[in-house]
Amino acid sequence: MTTPSLRIGSLGAFLCVISGVALLTVGLASQPLEPQQPPPPTPPEPQQMPPMPETEQEMPGMQMPGMQMPGMEGMEGMEGMDMMGSDPAAWRMPPMDRPMPMLPDLMGTTPIVDPFLPDVDPMSLPEAVPGAIVDMEDGDEIDIRASLVRRTINGKMLVMYGYNGMYPGPLIRAPRGATIVVNFHNEIPAETTVHWHGIRLDNRFDGVPNVTQPPVAYGESFRYEIFFRDSGIYWYHPHVREDIQQDLGLYGNLLVGAPEAAYYSPVNHEEALILDDLLMDDLGPIPYGEQAATHALMGRFGNVMLVNGTTDYRLDVARGDVVRFYLTNVANTRTFNVVFGGAPIKIVGSDVSKYEREEWVDSVVIAPAERYIVEVKFDEAGDVPITNSIQAIDDFRGEFYPHIDLLGTVVVADGATSTDHSAAFNTLRENVDVTSDIDDYRQYFDRPVDHRLELTLDIENLPQAIVLAMEFEAGLYAPPMEWNDAMPMMNWLSSAEQVHWTLLDTETGLENMDIDWQFEVGDVVKIELFNDPDTIHPMNHPVHIHGQRFLVLTIDGVPNENLVWKDTAIVPVGTTVQYLVDMSNPGDWMMHCHIAEHLEAGMMLGFSVREPGQ
Amino acid sequence: MTTGRRFVGTVAVAVALVASGLPLVPVVATLQASVAKVPAIPGNPCSMTELPTPNLPYYAIDMVKTGRVPGTGRSRGIGEASFARSPFGVSISPDGAYIYNLTIAFERLKAPKQGHYTVWVTTAEVDRVKRLGVLDDDGSARGRVAWNKYLVVLTLEPEDNPEATMWSGPIVSRGMSRSGMMHTMAGHGPYEGEPCAKYGFGMVNPLRSPRPQ
Repeated sequence: MTTPSLRIGSLGAFLCVISGVALLTVGLASQPLEPQQPPPPTPPEPQQMPPMPETEQEMPGMQMPGMQMPGMEGMEGMEGMDMMGSDPAAWRMPPMDRPMPMLPDLMGTTPIVDPFLPDVDPMSLPEAVPGAIVDMEDGDEIDIRASLVRRTINGKMLVMYGYNGMYPGPLIRAPRGATIVVNFHNEIPAETTVHWHGIRLDNRFDGVPNVTQPPVAYGESFRYEIFFRDSGIYWYHPHVREDIQQDLGLYGNLLVGAPEAAYYSPVNHEEALILDDLLMDDLGPIPYGEQAATHALMGRFGNVMLVNGTTDYRLDVARGDVVRFYLTNVANTRTFNVVFGGAPIKIVGSDVSKYEREEWVDSVVIAPAERYIVEVKFDEAGDVPITNSIQAIDDFRGEFYPHIDLLGTVVVADGATSTDHSAAFNTLRENVDVTSDIDDYRQYFDRPVDHRLELTLDIENLPQAIVLAMEFEAGLYAPPMEWNDAMPMMNWLSSAEQVHWTLLDTETGLENMDIDWQFEVGDVVKIELFNDPDTIHPMNHPVHIHGQRFLVLTIDGVPNENLVWKDTAIVPVGTTVQYLVDMSNPGDWMMHCHIAEHLEAGMMLGFSVREPGQ
Repeated sequence: MTTGRRFVGTVAVAVALVASGLPLVPVVATLQASVAKVPAIPGNPCSMTELPTPNLPYYAIDMVKTGRVPGTGRSRGIGEASFARSPFGVSISPDGAYIYNLTIAFERLKAPKQGHYTVWVTTAEVDRVKRLGVLDDDGSARGRVAWNKYLVVLTLEPEDNPEATMWSGPIVSRGMSRSGMMHTMAGHGPYEGEPCAKYGFGMVNPLRSPRPQ
């Protein structure tokens, strides 16, 4: 059996651990990246936000006949927009997948918040490099810096963020049971934190601002201790303005290995794929909302697909190779339906464990913040596209239409695999270790529901035309899932100051952060979530619980027959989902929708887990 | 509190209906716990008019009768679409269509003197048709559908032919998936100034993808 090669992007990397000091060697650059002592950061110039135009007439670049943005051909009613202004940080209409008219009363309207983009000359910044792998052992330390970087995407030079100047951030690989230390330094001109998503770690290091730690100001540092309790694929990202900071590149994976040699089936390659999208036009990213997030209704869908931060992800394999992919969705709101060109896919694991039983699947549905571990066998030579394949909705025309995004390509060489893993691949494993672990919780499967949450929203001060349009459609049809931005104009104009997404405790009537559930370590709690379809704008929500793990017990009353430990799970519109939560980790924790804009629009609650008797 | 407008799960409940002169046919429906069932009075068919309309799941399909087939005029049918099992919680085909388990159930449907009540599903354009099956003794048929927008059709077929690709008998009842309520906004509501024809309605839509033949 060959040793699987694990890579991110096109870089191989390995780590030498010498006397407990982690030194990273990047195969391409051949330059040690760690430890590094960055110079004290110099605060950038105060960001100059363009003032909001008082009237349409004042908006720059309004009258530029003959010029059109890609994807906006045939659009009507755009006369009042700053479509062609040269200032990339000014408001301009986001591009659309299909042309549609603007609501007449919205012509010239922009979000009520100011536009924000990092206002730095990209040439003054270091060019980001592909992410590298950092192998760490128990007790190792690593420095991670969040900083401004220069990126080039679709031929456009952009100012983005990066951890250690990489896209994505370093993939930290460590064994289960290890504790590592991350010395985090903030060099972006905004407060931030790092949340270690899915890791059941010490509450002090969960990275929630003003709950588990103060936010890390520009130029300041924070020391995180991360204990890896569970094998699997995890990720890290900011927990401050995720809609901006995460979207601009602050994310990375954590791959926690297992001591058992046969924890997974043998494969020829292992690949960590981080799926993302970015909303941009010819001038760069569409600005974000400064005081509050834009796209609060549906979240910010991107129009440029990124795999490990690139638009041209490529993997070379031999014919017959089996690849284990660790998939992570870091997009703000997009749920992907990932297809590997018809190659057979076996699902192995998800957020916090393997499945009880492996299964064949035709595609992988992965919501924001979820992870899936799949194995794929490539039997035919040639190029195999990795695609996001959906039925998009054209809200104006009231129809579905097929839409495919190319995410990357697996190039399968003519030469046969050096090690044939067909037998293992063709076997669907029963994971007795997972089933045995879950067995301890089956006594709670039929327990009464402890807490019921209704997922809903309120709106205020949205433009009347948007309210009218939503009321016109409310109660007719809301899809179970939103796979695309079906109403880009209205979505863009809705800010988190006008849209309030709500987790409603139906027993107490309390909402969001007014909820304060109390539990003891060892409690096993059943939480039922109902996604109300009768609101003015229902939408699916990937609901994440910090610091604990849970099972999706039932969906619409139908028992889940193949369980897996999760930390994030989809609640489609009109659906009732029951989580059985293992309250194993003491502290003050969060539960929230992981659509970044919904989180910014308030869709979160807090709960406490105390040691018995405290 | 908003419990009055929420569903309590979507448990399929078979409600046995007693109607004089009609066969006992259960209906599969999702009932809100707070909706009290009005007991049917044996021998009094009028009691059936008192049956409360159950609070149906959001994606339920209300079957609308045609009145063209004798013995079906007082029938009522409900379709319930639930996601097919999936390790992802949402069941999607590789081309992105939802995959539903569909249960169609009728009550007060008089047994035909000849022929078979047969359930079909079809795309809205009726360019693709799938036979779901003959209603069983409980008045139900089950199957799987992988279209986002579809119609359900109950017909009275002369034969029980599993190989049939299109119905030939009269339509007894029909309904549409909830997505059928998704409509163009051209010419309506806030877009009432936008002419439908400009966007391809009332004429061949140039944006519409070609459909498989």
